[in-house]
Amino acid sequence: MTATLSCTGLSKRYGDILAVQDVGFFIEKGEAYGLLGPNGAGKTTAISMLVGLLQPDTGSVQVCGHDLAADPLAAKAKIGYVPQEIALYPDLTGRENLRFFGRLYGLPRRELAKRIDEVLDFVGLSDRADGKIDTYSGGMKRRINIGAALLHRPEVLILDEPTVGVDPQSRKAILDGVEQLVADGMSLLYTSHYMEEVERVCKRVGIIDHGKVIAEGTRKELVSTLGSADRVELVLDGDLDVATDKLRAVEGVTEAVRAGTSSIRLIVNEGSHLLPTLIAAVRGIAVVTAVEVIEPDLEAAFLHLTGNKLRD
Amino acid sequence: MLRALFVVSRLELRARFMDGTAVLTALLAPIVLASLFGFALGGDDPPLRATVGFVDLDGGEFPSSVRREVLSAKELDGMLTLRDFATEKDAQQTLDDGDIGAAIVFPSGFSQDVGAGRGGKVTVLTSPETPLAGVVASSIVDRISALVDARTLAVKASLDAGVPADKVKEFVERNGASGPALTLESDPMAGGKVDLSVYYGSGMAALFAFFVVGTSVRSLLTERNLGTLNRMRAAPIRPWIPIVGKGVVGFLLALVSVCAVWASSVLLFGSTWGDPLAVFALWTAHVLAAAAITMLVASRAKTDSQADGLIMGVSFVFAFLGGSLVPMYNLPDLLQKVALLTPNGWTSTGLTELAGGGGGLATVAGPIAALCGMALVAGGIAALGFRKGLLG
Repeated sequence: MTATLSCTGLSKRYGDILAVQDVGFFIEKGEAYGLLGPNGAGKTTAISMLVGLLQPDTGSVQVCGHDLAADPLAAKAKIGYVPQEIALYPDLTGRENLRFFGRLYGLPRRELAKRIDEVLDFVGLSDRADGKIDTYSGGMKRRINIGAALLHRPEVLILDEPTVGVDPQSRKAILDGVEQLVADGMSLLYTSHYMEEVERVCKRVGIIDHGKVIAEGTRKELVSTLGSADRVELVLDGDLDVATDKLRAVEGVTEAVRAGTSSIRLIVNEGSHLLPTLIAAVRGIAVVTAVEVIEPDLEAAFLHLTGNKLRD
Repeated sequence: MLRALFVVSRLELRARFMDGTAVLTALLAPIVLASLFGFALGGDDPPLRATVGFVDLDGGEFPSSVRREVLSAKELDGMLTLRDFATEKDAQQTLDDGDIGAAIVFPSGFSQDVGAGRGGKVTVLTSPETPLAGVVASSIVDRISALVDARTLAVKASLDAGVPADKVKEFVERNGASGPALTLESDPMAGGKVDLSVYYGSGMAALFAFFVVGTSVRSLLTERNLGTLNRMRAAPIRPWIPIVGKGVVGFLLALVSVCAVWASSVLLFGSTWGDPLAVFALWTAHVLAAAAITMLVASRAKTDSQADGLIMGVSFVFAFLGGSLVPMYNLPDLLQKVALLTPNGWTSTGLTELAGGGGGLATVAGPIAALCGMALVAGGIAALGFRKGLLG
């Protein structure tokens, strides 16, 4: 299989800060690749370089055999870019927005009209096509935001947090649509704060932290980095900050972080055996009201590898 | 690429009509304000006090007669002072120092050449800092030119008719083409009045040109906030297309704006702005400079609100210093010099020369070159700023 999108040695420095350092990965045709990282890890900088918005200090990007630096127009023509923000004109209708961006890709008038109808149908907004964007709900805006990147039928679709701030119904519609695109053979680069979305959509995942890709592989490969570790979630009543520090000091606990107002999430070796020790460790500080031992998943692997929750 | 440019420009033009900029800022506001100023303050010529240098390298009867007539003309009494210089170089030096407003140079052998029917050429030295003195000097020389032409024609005709060369002078003077005598017209500004309605009309046009072109340039920052700029840049188009696409619309709307103010001034007040081609060329250069300067401001601004404030500030400062709000001759000497650092100052100077002196493109070649120079420098720095910022 040939790579639809590949990058090697991508680096970008802002003054003293090395935002992206020697990042490289590839996405095969029809493959969905997830890029996960905590805030400030360098995801957006990396994506900006992949779509030609930022010049890398070093490294190169190849899109369907076109070098992005040497032949930017040919390379960009193969990419569909869905930015994190709703990058649409609020005073124009959905159809007018699609028409404008479609024209930038050089689509002939008749062909464009046909593609606009197809895209509106795909994102389920045919009936609202002639309403102004600022009258749309958040979910509708997100869907048309994706639609604008599909008009030219790109080889690779790059989605940067495509479901931020949408209701569950719209999220489901977006994820169904994205899965459909992959099933139809489109390559995909997907970033999200929602681990379950990445697990659902992507075949392979790269984990980026402090500007570097620190791990890459299938879900199974990444979870296997945990070894015999389990994820344990304790629901407590008491001083959770002190309890977290106490739990972190327990032998066999590799990670301990606050999760919400009343939970602490832990990565532990052989969780079920260690439970009595964990409960004893917080005695006098907090009362454990519920315990859950969860089979290792991508989120546990992420926590293990980066030391951060994804939504930190 | 032209297609993408057209697509971006079309959307920008539509946006300017949708937000009212195209109608309100480009047409209604400058026309209404210029008209109000014109009705309230227009009609009076600016007060004239001019010292004109006089270089007589000829020593003949023509320069003497011109000097006599100028000094005795009632219309120029108290307004015009002649100052003699031995050489053209001295006059030019004094003009450059700002001690005289213009100079008239009669070359050696001038009277003899005219008397022999060979014609003659008088030079006028002018300075963009004192356009009105230049207008008066040019007006005097225009009058001399007419006399020289008449005299030359009469001498040639007499010679062709067989009048002996040594008798031609007497023959010509006896038959009416007599003198080098000069009669000044009552209005020393032969090319037309520099009416205050022209000052204020052009001033408002110059000011609003900045606002109009600034709106399009500012929208680049708005699009950056919306994310649509990045979406455009991710498309297979050249990186400069969004900037140029918007800049072109701002430029054209500003050009329409200044022309509309010009037309309204002519229709409402009967003002004479001068040779239409030269006026149009001057305005084109002004709008070009305004576009480049507002681009420079936008390239340095971090937000669209900051760009708004900066463009507004720059526009008003340039308008004040450059004679768009207060006629330049009312400004102190230092500010009159500072005015030439602004596009408005050069545009105002050029328009004064055209409206007063009645010249053509050559008359405003200097101001146009200065404006184009400003556009080139500001545009160049803006391009570097965009590469590092907006397109970085």
